[in-house]
Amino acid sequence: WILAWMGLEINTMAIIPLMAQQHHPRATEATTKYFLTQATAAAMILFASTMNAWTMGDWNINQISHPLATTTVTLALALKIGLAPMHFWLPEVLQGLSLTTGLVLSTWQKLAPFALILQISQNTNPALLTTLGVMSALVGGWGGLNQTQLRKLLAYSSIAHLGWMIIILQFMPALTLLNLTIYITMTSTMFLSLKIMASTKINSLALAWPKTPTLTTLIMLSLLSLGGLPPLTGFMPKWLILQELTKQDLPITATIMAMSALLSLFFYLR
Amino acid sequence: MLKILIPTLMLIPTTWLTPKSWVWTTTTAQSLAIALLSLTWLKWTSETGWSTSGPYMATDPLSTPLLVLTCWLLPLMILASQNHISPEPINRQRSYITLLILLQTFLIMAFGATEIIMFYIMFEATLIPTLIIITRWGNQTERLNAGTYFLFYTLAGSLPLLVALLMTQKDMGTLSMLIIQHTKPTNLLSWGDKIWWVGCLLAFLVKMPLYGVHLWLPKAHVEAPIAGSMVLAAVLLKLGGYGMMRITIMLDPLTKELAYPFIILALWGIIMTGSICLRQTDLKSLIAYSSVSHMGLVAGGILIQTPWGFTGAIILMIAHGLVSSALFCLANTNYERTHSRTLLLTRGLQMILPLMATWWFIANLANLALPPLPNLMGELAIITSLFSWSPWTIVSTGLGTLITAGYSLYMFLMTQRGPTPLHTISLHPSHTREHLLMAMHLIPVLLLVLKPELMWGVCH
Repeated sequence: WILAWMGLEINTMAIIPLMAQQHHPRATEATTKYFLTQATAAAMILFASTMNAWTMGDWNINQISHPLATTTVTLALALKIGLAPMHFWLPEVLQGLSLTTGLVLSTWQKLAPFALILQISQNTNPALLTTLGVMSALVGGWGGLNQTQLRKLLAYSSIAHLGWMIIILQFMPALTLLNLTIYITMTSTMFLSLKIMASTKINSLALAWPKTPTLTTLIMLSLLSLGGLPPLTGFMPKWLILQELTKQDLPITATIMAMSALLSLFFYLR
Repeated sequence: MLKILIPTLMLIPTTWLTPKSWVWTTTTAQSLAIALLSLTWLKWTSETGWSTSGPYMATDPLSTPLLVLTCWLLPLMILASQNHISPEPINRQRSYITLLILLQTFLIMAFGATEIIMFYIMFEATLIPTLIIITRWGNQTERLNAGTYFLFYTLAGSLPLLVALLMTQKDMGTLSMLIIQHTKPTNLLSWGDKIWWVGCLLAFLVKMPLYGVHLWLPKAHVEAPIAGSMVLAAVLLKLGGYGMMRITIMLDPLTKELAYPFIILALWGIIMTGSICLRQTDLKSLIAYSSVSHMGLVAGGILIQTPWGFTGAIILMIAHGLVSSALFCLANTNYERTHSRTLLLTRGLQMILPLMATWWFIANLANLALPPLPNLMGELAIITSLFSWSPWTIVSTGLGTLITAGYSLYMFLMTQRGPTPLHTISLHPSHTREHLLMAMHLIPVLLLVLKPELMWGVCH
């Protein structure tokens, strides 16, 4: 665990200067918020692993078995990636960054915590994971409804997608990985296209049609894919996740997740 | 099945590679060839009812008439769109045709699917090209709102369907239609099972549309361009009916009690939407509400699950598809000339466009179910089976037939007879293309009078 913690800290340290590149006060504020949240999460991880080592005598990552320790480390990792109810930092931080840095934050930064999450997946509390997942999907959907700033929109979409990823973790971690990969692909597409068009608000997207019609079509398709519409690829993880959930006799959870996908779809559609 | 799918997909390179002046001609010709090829499906030789099967697609007497209808409509859609698309740049015209072709492909795969999940995916997939057609090429500013209504109503109904289908797959091990028709009836007693039943049906009822959840339909029809309206009215509504017919195979015996509220909604909807039609001022909206009314009758016929009910539903679906599409084309000819859909502004057309008046006459007579046209066959089958299910339904179905006759005649008289307003005297005469369009819509209706067995489907 010590090495994992060190890796996470170095990761945070490295990205802080990248984020503060723009000497805009909003960028500095975003950097500070990010640093605080990530440091808190890292400290909690260290605390949880130490507690586990003290009570169980084990420093191994996937042998973490004390219930309090697992809960703490799950919550800490959730804070790191921005799952509800620890998501409050994500929209503001993402808004303060440039589009490229935002891309790195949404995709690359998620890989490290997810590696840890996948490794501890056997010992986690199912109720906690389900709560985190459903809340994230709902918060991601509702939060994004009133947004006009594209980066905040993508932040809420990230929260919703992370919710979907977490909820299947307890049943089939392979699906979590699949969802993560597809999400990274789609979000990278979105961020890069937005960077090409240099637009950060919905109003400026509306003028994009005359500039680059092909790119606008691509953006539209990838937005619909993020929303999870068949027959686009974005539907596949949602379908498989719902299938796993129903196989485990959780149809109500499945329905709630599906309905919250509708919420997200609404703001993608704008 | 591949014989039809691959030429349809190849239409997409055709539209993008043909030189500018030949695009419309070649696409219409190729889609017409595909439509004629699809007529070969009408010959049923297999005993089990499923023929022309591949690993995931097959046709049977239930899906074949709808498939032929879909293939028949593509050349008609392309013909109808020629006029209003021509001022746009050529690449946009090509993307419009490409969207229509994509929609066609998804529809063929949906009607031919044997796995219910594949049907579901194609069902959802048809939403995307339709949404793009409505929002991008629609006529007024409300089209964005219409598109949103359309998408969300349909999706809100179909996501529970996905969960219900996945639960079925868990319990039965397969979702292939070939196998499900032979499973023994399931024992469904608890509240959870009742919710599952509703989940299965809700998507199709929204798509049909059923009276309570029909709000998306008038909006979508009014805002859509002509090809969008045609395909919406003719085929997409029938997707709902087809899906319902397939799904009800596995839903017995709960359906006996649980279908009551939906049947009542459907019957009440026939009367209500018919009455709304009598007071409409917008021509397209009138035809849209008439669609809701007819599909209410279809929903009633399917929900009571009798052989005659199913037969009547299929016949009415096909006949209504052709006639509704014809009416939308007629309304579009008016719109292209006067750029208004208000009934009062396009009166007295018989003086100016007499041959069009003939087509208006035939289409309206078909809409009000004149014998011996197949509309009447379908309506009569459904009304009799509803009557045998409960004698009280004759009140609403009889009243509904009367009101349908009322508004169809109203539509005819308003547009054709009466004093001609002065501003319409300088309208363009009817194009041959429009006459061809109307003929190709209405001649199959007349021909089906002679051999309705082609449409009767599984129950005879």
